[in-house]
Amino acid sequence: MENEVVMRIRGLTKKYGDVVGIKDLDLDVHEGEILGFLGPNGAGKTTTIRTCLGLLQKTSGDVKIFGLDSHEDSIEIRRRTGYLPGDFGMYPDLKVKTILSYLLSQSGVSDESRMKELSERLELDINRKYGNLSKGNKQKVGLVQAFMADQDLIIMDEPTSGLDPLMQQKCYELLREEKAKGKTIFMSSHILAEVEEVCDRVAIIRNAELQVVEEIGSLKEKMGKKLEIEFENSVDPSLFSIEGVDDFEMDGRKATMIVTSNLDQVIKKISQQNIINMSLETFSLEQLFLTYYSRGGKGE
Amino acid sequence: MKIGKTMLMELKNSWKGFVLFILVVVLLVGGFAHAYPSFSEAFEDELEGSENVDVKMLKEDKEVNVTLNWKEIDNAENYSILVGKSPNMMVALERVDGIERPPHDYNLSYDEDGEIPKRYFAVVAVRAEGERELVGIETNFERTTAFQEIWGVDYGDIQGFLSLLWSTWWVLLIGLYIGYISVNVITKDYEEDRMDVILSKPISRRQYILEKFMVVSLYTLSVLVIIGLVLIGSVYSVGELNSVSSSALIISTLLSWPVFLVIISVSVLAGIYLESSRKAVGVSFIFILIQYGINMVGDLTEGLEYLKTYTIINYWDYESALYGETVGALDVIFLLVLSALLVVSALVIFERKDIPV
Repeated sequence: MENEVVMRIRGLTKKYGDVVGIKDLDLDVHEGEILGFLGPNGAGKTTTIRTCLGLLQKTSGDVKIFGLDSHEDSIEIRRRTGYLPGDFGMYPDLKVKTILSYLLSQSGVSDESRMKELSERLELDINRKYGNLSKGNKQKVGLVQAFMADQDLIIMDEPTSGLDPLMQQKCYELLREEKAKGKTIFMSSHILAEVEEVCDRVAIIRNAELQVVEEIGSLKEKMGKKLEIEFENSVDPSLFSIEGVDDFEMDGRKATMIVTSNLDQVIKKISQQNIINMSLETFSLEQLFLTYYSRGGKGE
Repeated sequence: MKIGKTMLMELKNSWKGFVLFILVVVLLVGGFAHAYPSFSEAFEDELEGSENVDVKMLKEDKEVNVTLNWKEIDNAENYSILVGKSPNMMVALERVDGIERPPHDYNLSYDEDGEIPKRYFAVVAVRAEGERELVGIETNFERTTAFQEIWGVDYGDIQGFLSLLWSTWWVLLIGLYIGYISVNVITKDYEEDRMDVILSKPISRRQYILEKFMVVSLYTLSVLVIIGLVLIGSVYSVGELNSVSSSALIISTLLSWPVFLVIISVSVLAGIYLESSRKAVGVSFIFILIQYGINMVGDLTEGLEYLKTYTIINYWDYESALYGETVGALDVIFLLVLSALLVVSALVIFERKDIPV
């Protein structure tokens, strides 16, 4: 990424007593990108987001957003940042419109046209009491409030939680539109398909430590491709002792392997055999993610 | 630019409960003042026939000469005088019979402390057929009620009656409610998961706390103003507004505000620190009940009056306000400073605090 860094995190550590919430995190979020922050429950995604926003006091490290110190200049940062927390709640006895107007005015914006436009788009009835809304509709209120002040950076913790598939698609559409407008989006998720669909880059976190930060395309490239071949006759497994071929398995006449490089050599070797069937499959993000976790480390 | 928006939101969120509370308090206070006439009569508690008997005393070196005079009764053959320590003459100390007519001189020795003993004198008329009729009972001292002796004020007048209101259930009624809402304006934001969003907007934590503190303070002030006005109206309706001025009623009511400000500060601090409505309301209520209890013990127990100086209620000088329309400025300043210190402590804690999920 050539774009300016909007969010620069260096050595960020947050401890809750003896428990480490996030450890020595280095991460940059660039202007105009959507960065997906991936990890299972309890990995440290929410802790990272909330520490960056000053809702949690960092134990050590440095967070700069728009070049401003996250602690010293937090009010200015929050003026330019929209936020959707993982557990979004509001006043149950008040109308959605009252709540959104309040939150919008707190951001220093008086024009409510975008608020109304977003509500209509997400099919949210703003004249209903917040407490009477379903979980999905409450989440829509959270989405509207995160986007309505048209801020430069949007931070979201599990943005599509509770939304039905149609609304999820609308949310992705919204995210892409914001990106097209040059907005920066930092979102956590454990829905891998969602991250794959909307994010430019992905940061994977495991046990409070960052494992990898990559563009999704190049991450897939690095992880290689899954090759499955069904031979007419049994073949000698040593045929595939080639650099760049991992996880080779032979089941009868069927061979599976992960090819990270030297694909041409593999093709040359198998071309000497009779082949019944063959498939070359790129990893989905889900497979990548599971691979990271099953390997228990930095994907090595 | 954004000052007051959190306050306004809190007002929108909680005004219904507050209006209901005001209605309850208005009914109670209005009703309380209307109880004054019958209460006052009960306190008049005059001795039977006291208007018929006159007691005069002449202090001498060794004794006090008491001259009794009374209204003579038709057909009375003579009179008896009973002297006792209480109006119940069944346990009379002395009895003098056969007095033909008033006046009658009676000598009373000083007690061990050199004080004039307090005595009740009953004059009884005896008719020819032996029939007896009480002329009246009078004392050689100014009678006080048990309430007067304990509390040191005369509950027979409207000021004393209102002092009874202020000194009894007032602090509990208003204090417990104010403590409850002061806790909830903070803890509900934690418990209903909105603190994150509110604090993600460009509002400082300091401003957030101050606005929460101010909204409850203004609630309390408005209750007190309304109560002051209701008191004026109800005191007027029982015809006592010539006995106590409107300004005395308003001042004595509003002087309780600094006491409630301390209660608000303690409750907000508890809410911030404990993050739980249940726990923080518990702390707030215990604080109020302990204050109330210590104040009561200090009031009712001889020798323990000093305990009252450790309670915030002691610094609400409603009696001076009711009787003299004066404001104990030092008392008010003390409470305001105490409240400010507690709010500053709340700010310091909240500024450094992790906001719980």
